[in-house]
Amino acid sequence: MSDSASAYAASPAAPLLEVRSATRRFAGLVAVDDVSFSLAPNEILGLIGPNGAGKTTLVSLVSGTLAPTSGEIVFEGRRIEGLPAFRRAHLGIGRTFQIMRPFPGLSVLDNVAVGALFGRGGGTRTGLAQAREEARACLDQVGMGAQAGQRADQLGGPGRKRLELAKALAMQPKLLLCDEVMAGLTHVEVDEVVDVIRQVRARGIAVLVIEHVIHAIKSLSDRLLVLHHGEKIADGPTDEVLRSDAVIEAYLGKRRA
Amino acid sequence: MSAPPAQRADAPQTPDKPQAPDKPPTWRRVAAIVVFAALAAVPWLGSDVLVQFGINALLLAVLAQAWNVIGGYAGYASFGNSVFYGLGAYGVGIAMVQWHLPFAVGLALGAAIAVVFALTLGWAVLRLRGHYFAIATLGVAQVMAAIVSNVELAGRNVGLVLPPLNDDRLFYWLALALLAAATLSVAWLTRSRFGFGLIAIRENEEGAAVMGVHTTLYKALAFAIAAFFSALAGGIHAYWITFLDPESAFDISLNVRMIIMAVFGGPGTVLGPIVGALSLSAISELLSSEVTNIAGLFFGVVVVAAVVLMPRGLADAVRGVRLHGWGYFARNVKAHRL
Amino acid sequence: MDLLAQVVANGVLLGGLYAVMALGLALVWGVLNIVNLAHGAFIMLGGYAAWHLYRLAGIDPFAGLPIVAIVMFAAGYAIQRGLLNLVVRAPMFNTLLITFGLEVVFTYCAQLAFSADFRTINPPYAGSNVALGPVTLPVARLAAFAVALALTVGMWLFLLHTRLGRAIRATAQNLVAARLYGVAPRHLYAVTFGLGVALAGMSGALYGTVSQVNPYIGATLTAKSFAISIIGGLDSPLGVIVGGLFLGIVESLTTLYVGPTYADVASFGILVLVLIVRPSGLLGRTA
Repeated sequence: MSDSASAYAASPAAPLLEVRSATRRFAGLVAVDDVSFSLAPNEILGLIGPNGAGKTTLVSLVSGTLAPTSGEIVFEGRRIEGLPAFRRAHLGIGRTFQIMRPFPGLSVLDNVAVGALFGRGGGTRTGLAQAREEARACLDQVGMGAQAGQRADQLGGPGRKRLELAKALAMQPKLLLCDEVMAGLTHVEVDEVVDVIRQVRARGIAVLVIEHVIHAIKSLSDRLLVLHHGEKIADGPTDEVLRSDAVIEAYLGKRRA
Repeated sequence: MSAPPAQRADAPQTPDKPQAPDKPPTWRRVAAIVVFAALAAVPWLGSDVLVQFGINALLLAVLAQAWNVIGGYAGYASFGNSVFYGLGAYGVGIAMVQWHLPFAVGLALGAAIAVVFALTLGWAVLRLRGHYFAIATLGVAQVMAAIVSNVELAGRNVGLVLPPLNDDRLFYWLALALLAAATLSVAWLTRSRFGFGLIAIRENEEGAAVMGVHTTLYKALAFAIAAFFSALAGGIHAYWITFLDPESAFDISLNVRMIIMAVFGGPGTVLGPIVGALSLSAISELLSSEVTNIAGLFFGVVVVAAVVLMPRGLADAVRGVRLHGWGYFARNVKAHRL
Repeated sequence: MDLLAQVVANGVLLGGLYAVMALGLALVWGVLNIVNLAHGAFIMLGGYAAWHLYRLAGIDPFAGLPIVAIVMFAAGYAIQRGLLNLVVRAPMFNTLLITFGLEVVFTYCAQLAFSADFRTINPPYAGSNVALGPVTLPVARLAAFAVALALTVGMWLFLLHTRLGRAIRATAQNLVAARLYGVAPRHLYAVTFGLGVALAGMSGALYGTVSQVNPYIGATLTAKSFAISIIGGLDSPLGVIVGGLFLGIVESLTTLYVGPTYADVASFGILVLVLIVRPSGLLGRTA
């Protein structure tokens, strides 16, 4: 166990992830505006908000795809906002993408094997055979074991979503960032994904879920974080947040007095 | 060209829809060893002309194989590997002519210079997207001859004349050994984590980075490997023909040839570049014995036809024709046409 | 000081010519997303066309420009329609490779047909000069510059104000949008490429009056056209003019102050530098 991990284990109340006043500007547009929140280990935090609220941008700041214009990102007590994405992957941050990024020419199995080889669970001593075994296990976990041999670019929408999940899982993350993994799925498929995320949490992984499917996020999340126009407008236990005026107003508009 | 299929069982798979029975790897390994042995026997069995043709073809195969690492596996199509070839040639030339060092030292020097140049250049240009990278490398290739022709140590425009060594056989075996080394390196690549990472970079670079691949480092290494083997080929060639000048050492047309050979034979495969290099060299040689100067034209036509009809290389074409008949070509066109 | 003025003037004249050379490439690249490595070969062929017109029919190269334009347009249209349209939806590398192949084919065909000798087009006024203040300007170069500028402005107006021009610009955004203009995509692509080749051919004819034509000039001119397109940005003919002038002046200055062999080095050095620092060019958005 590394130093930070053991120091970390000594104080179980310490948050896994802390975002402090994170801001991200794109030449005049402020996509994320002074957002702060924390995530405990093994917690499921739901991230909701109207379209364009900055949810994906915020997740990108955590995963390393984007760097914050200002603010700090602290993971396991370490500041990571200056680290490139691949190093954050080694630390244990895994992510699915809303606009999916499969490796089109590779098989589904090999897509996932990349995660096993290069993620936190991988390293220079991991062999291809071992990585493929781990990949197979991850595929089974998301219910895609049968499609392991197919080419990734031949999968349909739901399959691709699950592949994204399996890839992130293969990295053995401590924190899993899910960006709209349930978009476009049927009711039954959504329930299956909810199950998978619950199993992921049961294995000790913390999950941050961006979703629009409210009933799913309601049943999954311990806490909710709500963004609107890049700002945090609510942060607390799920039921409370969903009842708060600010959130309802953001989604539905002002009530007539 | 689009993602190539892998041949060996260990490399990442790109399977067709119906699982066609593929050649078992041992068969292919045996075939490769037989072919290698046959090639090694040429200097004893073949004529002098054949040996000379062989040296050229083998060195081109090395270039194609080297290009395969950066272009075929990592997906960064360099149009300027001729630079490394030339640097290797000049390494040997300067070491032997100006400093009177042995050939082996010259080779090492050339390779070292090329690798350093690759890492430096790579730092600047590997961050560029696809076609910008291609253009940048093309630009660099264009100017190398001009730059080197101003360097005193390199003999300026006039070039250098190396001490002669009249032993074609030796050069032939050197070239063959180099090709074997390059090919074994590529074979190792396909079973290694590093190679897997390169392929992931090719398929989706941002996706690879997010999953933990150190893309900057891997690309630079791939470029350096390509530079290494290209430089050694250049060095051997220089000593063989004992003459070296900027125009011929940094010959831009080499880029066309190495790329088309790698791509025609099958980029991202272990044996593809060799197949492409040897077959295209042979055909071009036959044609130019008929009509002079037709060789270049031939390559151009092959490129154009291959890109339209078999963009994934010869190996994929053979498999495709076996599975789907001649319709394979029509399907390629249909998939890509406007 | 006079020498500097002269060198800059030379650079400007050269730059105008470079600009129209690069214009065809930038058009095809910006609109069709086709990186045409055979561009320089088309310039070369245009040069030969003008040379033959002059030598065999006595047609003045400037007067013969419309003929060269039509012939090259037809060739470009046919090549796009018959060949390049077949790989448009393939990965970008395929277009690079196929145009690479075309470049080789054209170069060797030119070598076989026209021999490797250097050719220049020498109309009777080729030797005379015009004095403009402290600088002396060769008539041929001045005329080439004027025509180049006219063509560039003309192309700009065409793209902005004609229906076809707007359809072409729409294609750069969206193929469906182009359909809304009532033009079939395959035809539109072929027309655009034809225009690009026509511009290349015309610039080749102009080039033939100020410099030498031989089968091998293609590769360098392609690379320079790239440099100009990238330096100036792909989005407007104005950017190409700026890029062309910039390159022309840099080359002229380098030739004088450093040495003739370094002119090319300077251009490509700038190209690589621009690619690293600001890939969208001096004026462009992102390409």
